[in-house]
Parts: sequence; C-alpha cells; structure tokens
Amino acid sequence: MQNLVVCKNCIYDSRIPGIYFDHRGICNFCAQIDKLEIEYGTGTKTGEEKFNQILSVIKLSGNKKKYDCVVGVSGGTDSSFLLYKAKEWGLKPLAVHYDNTWNSAIATENIRKVTTKLNIDLFTYVIDNKEADDIFKSFLLAGVPEFDAPTDLAFTQVLRMTAAKFGVKYILEGHSFRAEGISPQQNNYFDGKYIKDIHNKYGKVLMKTYPLMTFYQFMKWILVYNQKFIRPLWYIDYSKPMAREILIKETGWQYYGGHHLENRAASFVHTIYHPQKFGIDNRNWGLSAEVRAGVISRDEALQIYNMPITPDPELVEYVKKRLSLSDKEYEEILNGEKRTFRDFKTYKKRFERFRLFFKLMAKMNLVPMSFYVKYCFPLPGEK
Amino acid sequence: MITIIDYGMGNLGSIYNMFKHINVESKISKDTDEISKAEKILLPGVGSFDAAIERIRENGLKEILDQKVLVEKVPILGICLGMQILTSESEEGNLEGLNWISGRTKKFVFADNHIKIPHMGWNIVRSSKTNPLTYNLAEDSRFYFVHSYYVKVYEEKNSLLKTTYGGIEFDSAIQKDNIWGTQFHPEKSHKFGMKLLENFAKI
Amino acid sequence: MLRTRIIPCLQLIDQSLVKTVQFKKHNYIGDPINTVRIFNELEVDELCFLDIRATVEKREPNLKILTGIANECFMPLSYGGGLRDFETVKKIFSIGFEKVVINSFAVEKPEFIKKVAEHFGNQAVIGSIDVKKNILGRYNVYSKDGTEKTKLEPIEWAKKLEELGAGELLITSMDNDGTWEGFDIEINKKIANAVSMPIIANGGAGSIEHIGEVLLKGTVNAVALGSMVVYQKKGMGVLINFPDKEQLNNEFLKIKK
Repeated sequence: MQNLVVCKNCIYDSRIPGIYFDHRGICNFCAQIDKLEIEYGTGTKTGEEKFNQILSVIKLSGNKKKYDCVVGVSGGTDSSFLLYKAKEWGLKPLAVHYDNTWNSAIATENIRKVTTKLNIDLFTYVIDNKEADDIFKSFLLAGVPEFDAPTDLAFTQVLRMTAAKFGVKYILEGHSFRAEGISPQQNNYFDGKYIKDIHNKYGKVLMKTYPLMTFYQFMKWILVYNQKFIRPLWYIDYSKPMAREILIKETGWQYYGGHHLENRAASFVHTIYHPQKFGIDNRNWGLSAEVRAGVISRDEALQIYNMPITPDPELVEYVKKRLSLSDKEYEEILNGEKRTFRDFKTYKKRFERFRLFFKLMAKMNLVPMSFYVKYCFPLPGEK
Repeated sequence: MITIIDYGMGNLGSIYNMFKHINVESKISKDTDEISKAEKILLPGVGSFDAAIERIRENGLKEILDQKVLVEKVPILGICLGMQILTSESEEGNLEGLNWISGRTKKFVFADNHIKIPHMGWNIVRSSKTNPLTYNLAEDSRFYFVHSYYVKVYEEKNSLLKTTYGGIEFDSAIQKDNIWGTQFHPEKSHKFGMKLLENFAKI
Repeated sequence: MLRTRIIPCLQLIDQSLVKTVQFKKHNYIGDPINTVRIFNELEVDELCFLDIRATVEKREPNLKILTGIANECFMPLSYGGGLRDFETVKKIFSIGFEKVVINSFAVEKPEFIKKVAEHFGNQAVIGSIDVKKNILGRYNVYSKDGTEKTKLEPIEWAKKLEELGAGELLITSMDNDGTWEGFDIEINKKIANAVSMPIIANGGAGSIEHIGEVLLKGTVNAVALGSMVVYQKKGMGVLINFPDKEQLNNEFLKIKK
C-alpha cells in the first residue's frame, strides 16, 4: 500500500474505483457533495425555503385524501427519522416497507415503535421467501458484489407501486448524501435488467412475487403517474447522531450499531461478503460522511476504519442455511471469480443515452438526482 | 465435552441445540463405554419417575453413573425429571431414586382448582447463595417450567434456587458437591437458560 | 409468580407462513425461519406452529422447516398439522419440539391422544378444538381446517380430550379468527370451567385489552395471538411484532386487582 492516496477532506482513498483528486488533494466524491449542498441549499435558509415550497405542494396534493405521501421505512435511522419529521411537518404519510424476509427483530421492532407512537399506517410488501432466497443466491453464484441490490430496487418499485395504489403522487425517501455519502458506484450498481439477467442465468425459481422494475415501468411511473421522488434530508439540516437521539427519546427506537445492519442480507454484504470476497470495506461511506459533516474527526474516522470488521459467525451459518449452501459451496463462492455488472445485461447504456431526459426528470424531482448523477454517465475509463 | 445421556426419556435435541448455539461441544449418547469416559454429564428427563429409574437400570447405567458421579466426581446436571431422580424417592412411584441428594419428590396438590397442574410456564427463581451454576445470572432471570411434581431437599444446604407456585415453595435448583439439578428447562429459557448452561460448561 | 403465557400462534402452509381470516383467505406473511429468529430475539414466552393445510392436503409435516425452527428457538415450541402416526410424532419431539397439537386425527381416532400422552406425558399433548357458532348460537366442533363439521359438542369433547390425556387445550374460534374483534369469551369460559387442564384461548385478539378480557372473563390460562403479531394493525401491512411488554404487564396487574 505504498501508493495509497487518501483524500485530504474525507477518508476515501485511491483504492476506490473511479476516485480522483483535485490540486488540493480532495476527492471527487467530496466535490460532488459540495456541489449538491450548494444546489439544494442543504441545512441553510435557502434549503429550508425550497423544501417548504415542496411541503406545501405535497399538502395541497393530499387535500381530502387519507395520505399525501408515502415514506419508505426499513427500521433504520434515516427512514425512521424521516417518518418522525413527516408527522411534524403536518404531512399525512403512509409508511411503506419492503420485506425481503431477512429482517432482524430490531428492524421490525423499530418500525412497530415508530409507526405506533406516531400513529402512522404501514403498508408492507412481502416477497415469497423461497423466491427471495433464490434471487439472493443467484447474485452469489454470479460472483457480483451487489448481493443486496434486489432489495434496493424492489424497495423503489414497492414505493412507486404503493403510491400508485393509494393515489399518492409524492414519495419521500430517507436518503441523505450528507450523512451517508454518495456510494462509489462500481460495486453498487443495480437496475431491473441486471437483476433479471442474473436471475435468468443463475436462478431456479420462477420470478413471480419479486417486484421487478423494468425500464418500461420506470417510464410509466415517471410519465404517466408523475410520481415525484423527494429526499427531504437533502434540504434540511441532518445528522445521524441527532436523529438517533430524537428517535430514542420520542419513540423508544433502538440503534442497531451500524449502517444497514438492521437487515440480515445487508449485514451480510457489509460485514462478510464485500470485505471477504472483494476486499471492500463500506464503512468508509458512512465514516467519510461523518467526517465531512464534522460529526467525527478525520483521525478518529481513520482509526475506526483501520480496525478490523468483526463478522458475526452466526450470520454465515444463517446465510448458508437460508440459501442451502454447503460449506464447500460457500467457500467456492467466496473464493470464486469476481464479476461486475459489466459482465451482464443492464440498462446502463440506455440510461446514458437518455441523459438529457433524466436530467430534466431529476430537476422535476421525477427521478432521484443521485440516479442522474450516478447512472447516466459513463464510468471513468469507459467510453 | 458434555455427554447428554440418552436413556429414552425426553427431548435431547433442544439441549444439544443450545450447547451448539453457545459453542459448547456436546454429544448425545446411550453407549455405556462412551458414558464411562464422560468428562461432564447432562441427565435430561421427561416422563415418569419409575420409568426413568427403570430405564437407567435396564440400560446398565446405574453402576456406571454411580461410579462417575460418586467416585470420579464428574460434574452432572439433571434437568426436570433428570433432577427429580437425583433425590431419594418420589410420590410418583415406588422405586428408589438415585439418592445422590437426599430429598423427596412430591405431588402438587391444590384445593383451588383454578391453580392448574402441571406448573407450566415462565417463573422466577430466588437465590440466596453464590454457586458456579448460578453465577452472574441476570436479576430478571426467568425460566420455563413444566412439572406436576416438585422437589424438597431434606438438608437446606442442598437447596440452590427456590420458586413458588400456587403458594407452595419448592427447590427449583439443587446442588451437592459435583451434582446439580434444575427443575426448569434451561434449554428452553432463552438467554437466561443459556447463561446457566454456559456456567455449567465452565465448571 | 407464574407469568401468563402469551403465545404467538403461527400458521404454516408447508414452507410459507400465512395468516387467515375466519379460516379462509390465506395472506402470505413471510419466511418461517426468519420470523422465528425475530420472535427469539423478542424473547417471547412460547411459540405454536400449525400447518393448517397439512391434513386436508394429505401432507406429512415439513420436518426440514420444523428442524430449522427448533434449531433457532430457545423457548417452548409446539407443532400441529397432519399428525396421524406415532412415528411422526416421535420425530417432532426428537428435533426439539416439546408439545404436539392434535385436532383432526383426534376426532377420527381419539385413542391416538391417549397413546401419545402415555408415551410422552400429558404435558406434551395439546388438544385442539376449532369451534364455530351456528345461527342459533350453538357451538359446533369442526375438523380438517374448518372444512368438516363434526357431531361433537365442544364441552363434552373437551372433557373427553382431558380424559384421554391431553394436558392443555387450544380453543380456536373460527368466527373470530383474524377479525381483531376480541376473543369468544363465552366458549372459552364454558370449557375452562368444565376441565381442569390449562386452556389457551385463540382467535380474535386485536388489542392488549382483549388479552386482559379473555384472561379475566374467559378464565383461561394462556392466550394465543395470530394477526396481532404478524400485522402492524388491522388492515395494515405485515410486521412481525409482539405487544409492548410494559403495556402487557399493566394489563396483567389490572386482572390481579
């Protein structure tokens, strides 16, 4: 690791695909976040005003309706806090949860506590457990890092489906580029075609209940249903420790000790699969975000980052059991060939061709801005 | 290594599962050779007193166990009926118990028929002494019981934990030297039971 | 003090977890093993699994799933559904369940209860009675997942099951199942007064108050929860949960007074 360059501002280093540094030694991810902060006025008066305008339009849209927005929930910090804020802003949210059947008790308990305390209805979409396991397994067999991508995409699709079902135009999502960072894209790509292709090649069970979002459906949600995707935490002042404090005090919510660790599939990705197969340590997203936001110092972050990840041996057993993998098969997967989304069919090229269209859509909040930023450009080194 | 004695009385799978969960090596065995080499013994038991004693005799285990427990002083933990047969006698049957801890196994009798038999469900235990088996048990520990007979030891010093049901106070755990018994099922008592079996594994 | 047992009663159809309303309309709930993990983490008192279609579909119990469940659970476990021979019952016990729930086959062959109880003890046998009220307000016993009306009268049948050796009774009101409207107090009380073994009331729980009500007025000993532990609230999304322990304790205290 002689040539390891670390960003002067956060802790991202030259091992991250697609990273480059400016003359001050600051990485492109930090630059991207600065740009977004200016654009959204995050945590400033401008941001607040922008968001208040959106709020009043949402409220107007829900006049005389039971709900005026849907809010995606996972039991984690950001989405729980967003639900709390939605109520405080006077919105009429319907909480929406995509159950990939790998939840931990802490996730479901948090959803129970928050929705009960705030008196918010919950809609859940549960995938067939055998199908979920088959899709997860196909990602392992494919040797790609995006093990949990099917959950991320399904979550978006379920949010959009539910919004359509209840005649709601606004979808609120608890993403915060400030608190979470923009994840490096080369090991975190997903779209409907990618998931379908991997499952076609490696799956065994028919895809019936998995809420797959095709390009056609994506267009339908945008153009026919006019669904707006709002990320309130992009506008307002937000930090995870502050959110946790409020949630614990107001709802009895409980912290689960790390980003995405409330779901066993996500936990497996971050604590076992990525570090052990790909040498990827995703803690740098959150840590870098915390450094940028001034929650912890850069030295502290580096110190934490340099400590080994401690996987739960029981989780490995759980994964083997759920996916019917023998010890040998599991070892073969961990030591087997590494592939990326480029080895499979995706919509990536199509997204790039539609770049100007999606830019416009992002400006109109019909697709998330991060989608435009991440998916509509060729990756560094690509044509 | 803990040897779980399979003498045809009850549910061994769940004891084995819990040991596995807490990373303690154990094996289920009815083989007399294997048992005579045991380093630590777990004596389960569900069913009736006489049947249990008979099965122990039939399987030729009586002499081996006497040797292991009384002479070699190997730690042993009896669970539920496995604890009751450690005593001298029972109102449930006519046969003599293993008689390693002097005491009597008695029948629950209540005048009020709203107090159901068996004593089934989660109950608390009271402790007045420190003992390796009950070391560091959480304040709010609760355990799963299911039994129609209860143990009263003759010598108070052999009583380790006490529990009350329907006004009757009984010994929910007993101990003498290297011999322990619990009336409740640690293997069915969540983290509380896990702690207790962990303690036993460390003895 | 003995705690009142609050038992999540989970319905299986082979490998899937479901929930019914009035014995009809199966709603898909999720993965049994993961759900069990959640209940394990929540440290619930006890779990009951019923494969509601095993008998009707002439299936054997799914031992693979049940083994998976038993390996995860460190609490009392019971299983019912498709139990029609002694060897299968034996297997259920050997994998780590300590009670079996017997319904349809007891109607067909009452001696089966006796045989299981004699071998494994009364505490290992839960007799299960599905009851439905007719228009005249009379209760009838049903078997085979509510598809077959029997000639049995619930109270007499309960006494008979006790005589045969059942150690507990699970009383399920078909009318109240999945309605969230509360338990059938009347039938639970009648049966609880007629037998001396513990009664588990099942069907209809929708709130913590309902639990208190059936314990106090129905004089039952334990309560089974279905919809309440798998949905956020009536008509709402799937959410594996358990009632707030503090609120439950408050309700128990009310009963004691």
